[in-house]
Amino acid sequence: MATETQTQNVSVNNFEQCLKCSICTVYCPVSAVTPLYPGPKQAGPDGERYRLKDKVFFDESLKMCLNCKRCEVACPNDVHIGDIIQAARIKYSTHKPSLRDMMLANTDLVGTMASPFAPIANPVLKLKPMKAVLHSVMGIDKHRTFPDYSNRKFESWFKKEAAPNQDQYSKHVSYFHGCYVNYNYPQLGKDMVKVMNAVGYGVHLLEKEKCCGVALIANGMSKQAKRQGEVNMSSMRKAIVEGHVVLTSSSTCTFTMRDEYDHLLGIDNHDVRDSISLATRFLFQLIEKGEIKLEFRKDFHKRVAYHSACHMERMGWVPYSTRLLRMIPGLEFVMLESQCCGISGTYGFKKENYERSQAIGKGLFDQINDVAPDCVATDCETCKWQIEMSTGVPVMNPISIIAEALDVEATIISNKK
Amino acid sequence: MKFDVIIIGGGLSGLTAGIALAEAGKDVALVSAGQSTLHFGGGSLDLLGYDEQGNEVKNPLDAISNLNGNHPYKKIEDVSRLAGVAKKVLERAGIATAGEANHNHWRVSPIGALLPTWLSLEGMATVEDAGTMPWKRVALVNVVNFLDFPTKFLAAGLRNRGVEVDVKAFTLPELEQLRKSPTEMRSTNIAKVIETNNLIAKIANEVNDIAGGYDMVLLPAVLGIGSSETSRHLLKAIKVPANYVATLPPSVPGVRMQTLLRKRFTALGGTFFTGDQVIEGNFEGDTLKGVKTAKLDGTTLEADNFVLATGSFMSRGLVADYNHVYEPALGVDVEDLGLDRNTWSKIDVTESQPYMEMGVKTDSCLRCQRAGNTIANLYAAGSILGGHNSIKRLDSAGVDMLTALQAVNNILK
Ligand SMILES: Cc1cc2nc3c(=O)[nH]c(=O)nc-3n(C[C@H](O)[C@H](O)[C@H](O)COP(=O)(O)OP(=O)(O)OC[C@H]3O[C@@H](n4cnc5c(N)ncnc54)[C@H](O)[C@@H]3O)c2cc1C
Ligand code: SF4
Ligand code: SF4
Repeated sequence: MATETQTQNVSVNNFEQCLKCSICTVYCPVSAVTPLYPGPKQAGPDGERYRLKDKVFFDESLKMCLNCKRCEVACPNDVHIGDIIQAARIKYSTHKPSLRDMMLANTDLVGTMASPFAPIANPVLKLKPMKAVLHSVMGIDKHRTFPDYSNRKFESWFKKEAAPNQDQYSKHVSYFHGCYVNYNYPQLGKDMVKVMNAVGYGVHLLEKEKCCGVALIANGMSKQAKRQGEVNMSSMRKAIVEGHVVLTSSSTCTFTMRDEYDHLLGIDNHDVRDSISLATRFLFQLIEKGEIKLEFRKDFHKRVAYHSACHMERMGWVPYSTRLLRMIPGLEFVMLESQCCGISGTYGFKKENYERSQAIGKGLFDQINDVAPDCVATDCETCKWQIEMSTGVPVMNPISIIAEALDVEATIISNKK
Repeated sequence: MKFDVIIIGGGLSGLTAGIALAEAGKDVALVSAGQSTLHFGGGSLDLLGYDEQGNEVKNPLDAISNLNGNHPYKKIEDVSRLAGVAKKVLERAGIATAGEANHNHWRVSPIGALLPTWLSLEGMATVEDAGTMPWKRVALVNVVNFLDFPTKFLAAGLRNRGVEVDVKAFTLPELEQLRKSPTEMRSTNIAKVIETNNLIAKIANEVNDIAGGYDMVLLPAVLGIGSSETSRHLLKAIKVPANYVATLPPSVPGVRMQTLLRKRFTALGGTFFTGDQVIEGNFEGDTLKGVKTAKLDGTTLEADNFVLATGSFMSRGLVADYNHVYEPALGVDVEDLGLDRNTWSKIDVTESQPYMEMGVKTDSCLRCQRAGNTIANLYAAGSILGGHNSIKRLDSAGVDMLTALQAVNNILK
């Protein structure tokens, strides 16, 4: 009886496991730069005790939380601090998203509108008067430059250039490319197809893909996020039935669909979760099993500093990417100390957050400037914007680095054997 | 994923083992479920503070040879040599310490006790001999409204030893800002504010205004998370002798040690699995082939050798339920003293608590056992080892580092 009571005494998000050790407060990037944020311990397990008694204890300052989960990674007792905070926002916040928030959060809607006009939209969004309007009217910080919109979406390129060749392969994967690859940086998607094809895998898009919804959750639009999540899950189920693993090239999309769908949005993803993987992890696992082999160019040389994106760290998958990169003979590898870059998706775009966002990232930018690498590698696209803007050092996804270093001919031959 | 050695647990013992193995050229992985008890560490490392009769120890090396047979130090081949190696490991990680294994000095605890210790981080308040206090008049200078520096206890502790103590406080507009969120006015956040705003010179001015006439200024250790540079600068800028006393957790010198040790480990090429937990071992006969973790579903971490350094009850390296004490990660045997639960603890908290002596069973080479069989390639190190009461003996950092280094030696043999 006593044993039963003890083992069943587990609360939602492990909040009762909190020992009040205060370790989480050491690692919160937000409370490090502003006293206006109550910090993970107070906003999380401590505040939750009060909120459970009465919702008046909910504090809108919780919206300052980046949802970076660095507190969770640090907590020795597996308290899901970030989840507690986000769940409280979903449950209690009465704050209505502004037009600006809706615009920033609807990455695919805005992308769809902007892409055809990319030659116009890109320069216009960079113009000073336009930035001034965005800053004052919309609340999008003037220091920010929107990532360029590509005038040819990845999906359009894929359908025309890649799709017809994919059936010749004997093994297949589905690719959840995400908004960023589709609208802003199709090159990463092309690199992905190049690498997967070289090791003998055909790449396919999902029947229907919606933005994973991470920005919607952050901006208080969890209902819409849930609808989009359901669409993704049902497309993925179809791919899985065909025997495909669903690969991504973004750590944040992966984390959102594997963990936040279930924890925050209440989407049942238990039958899909294990089939969603990051491309670097998938490749690493196949190489380790001896099922594929990568051959690299002899003339490739690059000094690469790896930045651990917050959600990559939360998933615990950093070593898949770093050990994969370290297989490249011409690559000089430097591990950066793990720190938040401060952008957190749409957070750093808001003018009220700009200064805080740059202050959070400063430690990381200083490290990068000290190391002076040829490029920074990271698995997250918003870190790429932030680091490139703040340091001028180019940032590449590990898949793009592999694609650049790959000896395609030799790899194709090795994998045919 | 395959490595030469996998360390489970990223506290002082796990990091020490990881660094020593990486320095020896091994491909090492370290898996740690969250941050460690180093965050409570006071900026000093204890080797042996009290012997089994409870007497203060002056020469730890001598006293260690008189310890009972169950103490983990009995499995160390050459305590004196490994103590020297430990100091060097810290030094190469950027952690300069003062102190010798054959000669304790005394540290000032956050609540004003003077405790015998082995190594102290530079700048920490220490005295050569607690019997003859070198300070006549001490100013305890706190930051206004900082609650994790219990000045009343500290002052009382020092006054008991015949020192005249005045409690003072200073503030600066930047530090005042922190008071907007009282729960976040913690040592590490103060350190971040001081460092980002470059407040050293201003603080030195404030302290110098107070310091006249004192022969020692004691400050809360709220500087230098990433290195000891800023904390050193401040002490130089203060006109009278000044030192730091560790605060209540989180402790900045402890966080600094954690940060620097981890940095050293990754700089040596070690792979850190952050915030992941070992949940199962894959045993074949008397060898451990690999471990599974909570987050790497589908991947087993394999290695030739393993070190279990998951800490004690507080870090969940050991778990107690109503009937027994067990080791949750790999299910290795625990020396639970065969006691009835009612006798695990004593009602008077100041008494020696029997549960403190529980820990995993090991052979003379620090190898773990499962169902009575020794596992040939699984070593235990640090506070997961039983056989001693680290609070009563004041020996935890020494046990952490020395058993880690001994396990490394045994692996490299
Ligand atoms: C409040 C307090 C104050 C202290 N003050 C001092 C002091 O001033 N001076 C001093 O010398 N000593 C002090 N100590 C003691 C000292 O800090 C500890 O004894 C010592 O650091 C223990 O080190 P460790 O490496 O064995 O374990 P820990 O530091 O406990 O580290 C164990 C690590 O393993 C991880 N872990 C646990 N289970 C798993 C798993 N299944 N898989 C992966 N990882 C896992 C944990 O999350 C943790 O990070 C103090 C201890 C406490 C609790
Ligand atoms: S780190 Fe975990 S256990 Fe410690 S105070 Fe934070 S939530 Fe609680
Ligand atoms: S999720 Fe990040 S920003 Fe939010 S409380 Fe935790 S550490 Fe702080």
